[in-house]
Amino acid sequence: MSLIVAENLRKSYGSVVAVDNLNLRLDAGSVTGLIGPNGAGKTTTIKMILGLLKPDKGMVKVFGQDPWDNPEIRTMIGIVYEKAFFPAHQKTLEYLQRVCRIYGVSESRAIEVLEAVSLQEATDRQVRALSAGMLQKFAIAHALVHKPKLIVADEMTANLDPQARSELLELVLNLNKDENVAFLLSSHILPELSRVCDSAAIMNKGKVWAFGELSELYEKYAVGIIRVTTDSPERLAADVKKLDYVKNVDSDARGFSVTVIDGREDEIYEDVPRLAKHVKAKLLGIETGSASMQELYMQAIKEKERK
Amino acid sequence: MGKGKPFLEVLASAVHEDFRFPFLELFAFLYTLGTFAMANFTVSVYSQVSTDEAVAFAATTSLIGFSMIIFLILVFKNIAYGLGSELEKGIMQTYFSYPLKRWALLTAKLLSGIGLSLLLFLGIQISAFYIMAPDIVSTQLGTIILTYVANLSYPLFISAIILLLTLKLRRGGIGLVVGIMLYIGMSVVSSLAIVVAWATESALGLQIISVIAPTYALQYHYAGLSGISSVLWNPTLTEAMLYVGGSYVIVGALFILGYVYFSRRLNL
Repeated sequence: MSLIVAENLRKSYGSVVAVDNLNLRLDAGSVTGLIGPNGAGKTTTIKMILGLLKPDKGMVKVFGQDPWDNPEIRTMIGIVYEKAFFPAHQKTLEYLQRVCRIYGVSESRAIEVLEAVSLQEATDRQVRALSAGMLQKFAIAHALVHKPKLIVADEMTANLDPQARSELLELVLNLNKDENVAFLLSSHILPELSRVCDSAAIMNKGKVWAFGELSELYEKYAVGIIRVTTDSPERLAADVKKLDYVKNVDSDARGFSVTVIDGREDEIYEDVPRLAKHVKAKLLGIETGSASMQELYMQAIKEKERK
Repeated sequence: MGKGKPFLEVLASAVHEDFRFPFLELFAFLYTLGTFAMANFTVSVYSQVSTDEAVAFAATTSLIGFSMIIFLILVFKNIAYGLGSELEKGIMQTYFSYPLKRWALLTAKLLSGIGLSLLLFLGIQISAFYIMAPDIVSTQLGTIILTYVANLSYPLFISAIILLLTLKLRRGGIGLVVGIMLYIGMSVVSSLAIVVAWATESALGLQIISVIAPTYALQYHYAGLSGISSVLWNPTLTEAMLYVGGSYVIVGALFILGYVYFSRRLNL
């Protein structure tokens, strides 16, 4: 069953087209990442899905219904906005207890969700006294109160420290595995998404450029990417770049990723050790099939632009 | 889950924010001060008018005077500043995540922002009236109610304008400035209209103003507007009541416009 169906969505702000002819589908129990750079149209897409923005064209259905001004589907969706704001002068626990009453669930749920995000020590604090990270955690607790079937989160891990991010991703995995909660997660922190997502929609310039299960996307876009690990990435990458079958080289501190012309992957295994010896670089590893989501994203964008 | 509960909880949350300490205490004090200390029941007020109805009108108007300013300040705070910052910062997005129709959400915000302010205003005014002028209340209740209704029309008109501007612009600053300008502007425009009426022997300007501020129509019903050689405007009670009714049609239309915009057009 599809929880979210968006067809030919279009939204513009004046002359700027934020989302153009966008199609998206999210199935029950899936964790889908909405990937894209700033300005790709992720937040606009999410707002249309949540019924905060009316599309100029196209159709969006959530749980089979139009999300605009629809209280019924709100009981099934948990929402985490990029910037979380709540009535500032209310205490966290008291406010969540109020939210429990709004949704008709037991007030004890407020403590449960605060514990789930490690905010149990801030129950007596006013919302305005929370730090940015704590506010983000509070927003997540707020989204969990009514045990939604679907959680839509826009940059959910923004403002969180690495440990909190890790705990939150663990929470996402557990909720998905144990309670079959579906997630639509928008982020530009791709390694995080790759840890929890089973499918992804790659957005750019207001359109979904690639969409599918992660394994399919890797197969389609990342098959020609080889990861080289070395102690001298810059020197070795410079020589590898000169090889006629190499399409692209992306360097970082620990190595580089090489994209090669289809069918010539084997040649890199002969040339890289030779070049490493030539530039006196210590070769630590060469492997295929380990492209990061970042590389997958870049590759998908490049492929699409070429077409 | 009861259908009324989300509405009541959002209303309670709005009241908690709009009237958090010390706002409720401060404004209740100012209302009381404005009502009891600023009311003018002296002989000079009574001496200008001749009928019992006119006395009741004059007494009520003097009682309302300062408190109306307090009411408007509270509306400015709750609608232009409160609702405006909720729209601007994104708290409204949070409210939109609750199982509540948009019209119900706006109703909760308006009940807290305007309704409760009005209740506070009227509660203290009525108490003061019973304490300070029980004889007028017992004999002229109809006139008193009509005077209140007429006097509240223009502040509610301003409130509706502030609401529309705040919703459209998704911030309250402009609405606040326009609200203050409308309030101050009416005093200036009405004074000018009187001068123009005397100069031209025509009360058309005042009649136009009375469409949105019907208290002028009621005032000239009781006191009449005299020119050099004749009475320029002395509407009948029915005419004055038509002005009152007409003004509320306009106020109602503006609020309905606000509801329609909030429910069907407001993109966040």
